[in-house]
Amino acid sequence: MPNYIRNGLRSGFVFGIVIIFLILIGFTRVANELLAPLVKGTSQLPMGFILFMALLGLWAGASAAKRSPVLMGMPDTYQKWNAIISGLIAGIIGGAFVGLFIFVLGSIQTKGMDMRVYLAQLSPDAIKMLTLGRVAWAGAFSIWLIFVITGIAGGLLALFSDSFKLGERMSSSWKNMSAGIGDSAIAKTVNQNAVVRYILYGIFIIILLILPSFLGKYWNYTLGTIGIYIIMGLGINIIIGMAGLLNLGYVAFFAVGAYTVGLLTAPAPQGLHWNFWIGLLVAMVMAAFVGWLLGIPVLRLRGDYLAIVTLGFGEMIRVLVRSKALSSIFGGPQGVRDIAGPMIFGQRFTEREYLYLIVAVIIFTVFITIRLQNSHLGRAWGAMREDQTVAQAMGINIFRYKLLAFALGAAIGGLAGVMFASRNQYTGPEDHTLMVSVNVLALVIVGGMGSIPGIILGSFVLKGLPELLRQIEDYRLLVFGGLLVVMMIVKPEGLWPSKRRQLEMSDVDLPPETDALQVLEEQSSDQKLRGES
Amino acid sequence: MSSQNIVLETRKVTKRFGGLTAVSGVNLVIPEKGIISVIGPNGAGKTTFFNCVSGFYQPDEGEIIFSDRNNKHVDLVGFAPDNIVALGISRTYQNIRLFANMTAVENIMVGMHPHLKTTWFEAILRTPRLVKEEKDSITEATRLLQFVGLAGAGDELARNLPYGAQRRLEIARALANKPRLLLLDEPTAGMNNKETAEMTEFIRRLRSELGISIFLIEHDMHVVMGISDYITVLDYGEKIAEGTPEQIQKNPRVIEAYLGRGAAAGLHKKSAAADVVAQ
Repeated sequence: MPNYIRNGLRSGFVFGIVIIFLILIGFTRVANELLAPLVKGTSQLPMGFILFMALLGLWAGASAAKRSPVLMGMPDTYQKWNAIISGLIAGIIGGAFVGLFIFVLGSIQTKGMDMRVYLAQLSPDAIKMLTLGRVAWAGAFSIWLIFVITGIAGGLLALFSDSFKLGERMSSSWKNMSAGIGDSAIAKTVNQNAVVRYILYGIFIIILLILPSFLGKYWNYTLGTIGIYIIMGLGINIIIGMAGLLNLGYVAFFAVGAYTVGLLTAPAPQGLHWNFWIGLLVAMVMAAFVGWLLGIPVLRLRGDYLAIVTLGFGEMIRVLVRSKALSSIFGGPQGVRDIAGPMIFGQRFTEREYLYLIVAVIIFTVFITIRLQNSHLGRAWGAMREDQTVAQAMGINIFRYKLLAFALGAAIGGLAGVMFASRNQYTGPEDHTLMVSVNVLALVIVGGMGSIPGIILGSFVLKGLPELLRQIEDYRLLVFGGLLVVMMIVKPEGLWPSKRRQLEMSDVDLPPETDALQVLEEQSSDQKLRGES
Repeated sequence: MSSQNIVLETRKVTKRFGGLTAVSGVNLVIPEKGIISVIGPNGAGKTTFFNCVSGFYQPDEGEIIFSDRNNKHVDLVGFAPDNIVALGISRTYQNIRLFANMTAVENIMVGMHPHLKTTWFEAILRTPRLVKEEKDSITEATRLLQFVGLAGAGDELARNLPYGAQRRLEIARALANKPRLLLLDEPTAGMNNKETAEMTEFIRRLRSELGISIFLIEHDMHVVMGISDYITVLDYGEKIAEGTPEQIQKNPRVIEAYLGRGAAAGLHKKSAAADVVAQ
C-alpha cells in the first residue's frame, strides 16, 4: 500500500475515534456554543458544531497529507494528487466513523429510546444537534460530506502552505523563542546593566502594587490562589528541583500548615485563640518538623519507592484529619472554622490586602530559594541529584541533606497552607486532596523544574488559565492532559527552564567554547606542566 | 619502610559477594608520601579492594587502619564514605564521574565540602562568615585548577572538557578535600602516550609538592613500573606478590598470573618478565 494511502487511513481512523469520544463526553456541544458566535447564521442549523467538524476535518486532511513524504524530483502534480488523495481518504474514513455513529444514535433516537440512561451526555437535544435536525441518515450523510470536503481542503492546505514541516517549524521556533529569552539583545542589556535591571524591578513592583486596586474581588481572590500555588511550587522545587527527591505527597505539609494555624487560632475545636502571626511561625516549624519526621524512615528509599511512600503519606494526613474518631482534635469532616487572619486597624484583611501579603510571602520565598540555590547547599543538592554515590564520596552526608531539603520544602508548604486557611477562614479535609499535590507537581513540571520564573509561569498556566476558560471548566482536566502531553513532546524541559535543567535534559553535547579549548591546550603542553614544578 | 610513618595499613581485608571471595585476606601498607600500586589481571579484585578502603563496601573481615591528619589511628571499617572522606582520603574513578552539568569550579567546590563550616541558616542570612568562606572556596578552587593545568577553564561545564582535562579535573576535585591519601583508579585509562606521560609526571608532583600519599590501580605497566615505590599484585582476590618494581618484574608468580602457567614455565624467566614490563 502506498504511503500516502496508509497515512490517509491512519489519520481518518484516529480522528474518527477521537471525535466519537468527544461526542460521548459531550464536548461537541460545548464546542458548538463556543464557536457559534463566530458564525453568524440565522438558520436553524447548529453552525458552531458544523464549524467544529469542518475544522477537525481540515486538521485530519492536513495531518494525513503532512505525513506523506515529499518525493524529491517528482513533478508537482504528482505531489498535489498525493496530498489530495491522503486528505480525501482521511475525510472518507473519519467521516464514515462519525457518520455511522451519528446514524446509529439518530436511529435509536427515532425509535424512542432515551440514551441518557446509558450516557448522560446523549440527550435528545444533543443528538438532534448531531444529526443537524434532520432524519438520521441525512444528518449522518451531511456530516460525512462535510468531513470529506474539508479533508480534501486540509490536504490542499497542507500542500500549499508548505506545512509539511509545520510541526518541526513550530517546535524549532519555540526553541528559538526560549533561547531568545536568554540571548536576545534586550535580555543581555538587562543582564549586564544593573541600573536597567533595577528600573525594571521597580516597574514590576509598582505594577504589582497598583494592579490589585483595579481588580475586582474575584480576580484578587483568583490571583491569590495562583500566588499560593506559586509558594507551594517554590517549596516543592527545593525537594524535587534542587535535591531531586520525588515527593507526591506534598499536600501533607500544606495540610499541616493549614491545620496548625487553624487549630491554634480558631475558637473550635481547641479554642486556643492564638495570635495569627505566632500561629504562622508555629505552623511553619510544625510543617518542617513533620517533613523531618517523615524523612527519617522514608529518605533511605530511592526514586519510585520514595514517590509511592510520600503519596501514601499525603493521603494519610487527609484521612487522619477527616476521621470521626479524632474529630475532637481536628474537627472531623466539618473542618475548622473561623481561622484568624492578620489584622489591620482591627479589621481582617480584605482579598486585596491578602493578595499583597501573598506577594510578600512569594518574594520572601524566592529570596530564600535563591540564597539556598547559590550556596554550598545548592551545590551539594545538585551533586546529589547528578550522582548520589559520588556526592557521598565528596563528603556530603546524603541523608542529612535530604532531610534538610524535606524540612525546608515542608516549611514553605506549611506557609502556603497558613495563607490558604487564614484567607478562607476555614480549612477542611477536602482542601487537602491528592489533586493539590498533583497540581503543584504539574505546575513545576510545566513551568520548568528548578526555574523560579518557570514556576511562576507554570502556576499562572495551570491555575490561572482554567479561570479564564471558565466555559470549558468541565473539560479542564481533559485540556490539561492534552496540554501536558503536547508539552512533554515539544518542550520536555518546561516552558521557562533553568539553564542547568536545560542542559541536563538535552542529550546533545554542546560544542565546547573554542577559547577555553585553546587555553587548555596551552596549559596541557609538556613545557608548562613541567616548567611549573 | 618501617622507619617511615604509615598512612594506611590493611590487615587481612576480606570481601565476599555470595559465594565469591573478591578480596581475600589482603595485607597492605602505605607509607607517608609513598606511591603504592595494585596491579593484577582483570577481575583480580583491585577495584573491590579500593571500594573497601573508601567505604563503598564494608569488608567482611579485617581492619583498615588509617592515620588521619592528626596522626590519630582510626579503623575505617564501619565508616560511611562521607566520614572517610572527611578523615582525609579522596578518590577518583576508573570511568570518570564528574558532575557533568556543573562547571569545573563548582565541581571542585563540591569537593571542598568536608571543610565547610557554615549551616543552612547562615546560607539564607548570608552572614559575613559565609561570604568569606564562599570567597575562599572560589580562590582555592581557582588555585587548584591552575595546579592541575586547567587555568581559565573554571566556568566551563565539566561535560564539555576534553577527556584528559576531565581526568585532571577529577583529581583537582579530589584534592579539594586536602587529602592525606589519594586513591587513583586507573588515572591513565584511555589516554594516549603523551597524555599518559603528563599524568605520570603530574602524579609525581602530587607527592613532591603536596606531600600526599598515593594509592594507585593501573594497567599500564610503563606507568606502574616507572612511578611506584612498591607494588602489590592481586590475583583472584589474593595477594600473590609484593615488592619494588624490580622484584615484581622478576617474580615467577606474577608472570604466571599474567601469562599463564605454561607460558611462564616455557620462557626464560628474566626475558619473560621484561616482556611483561615492556607491554
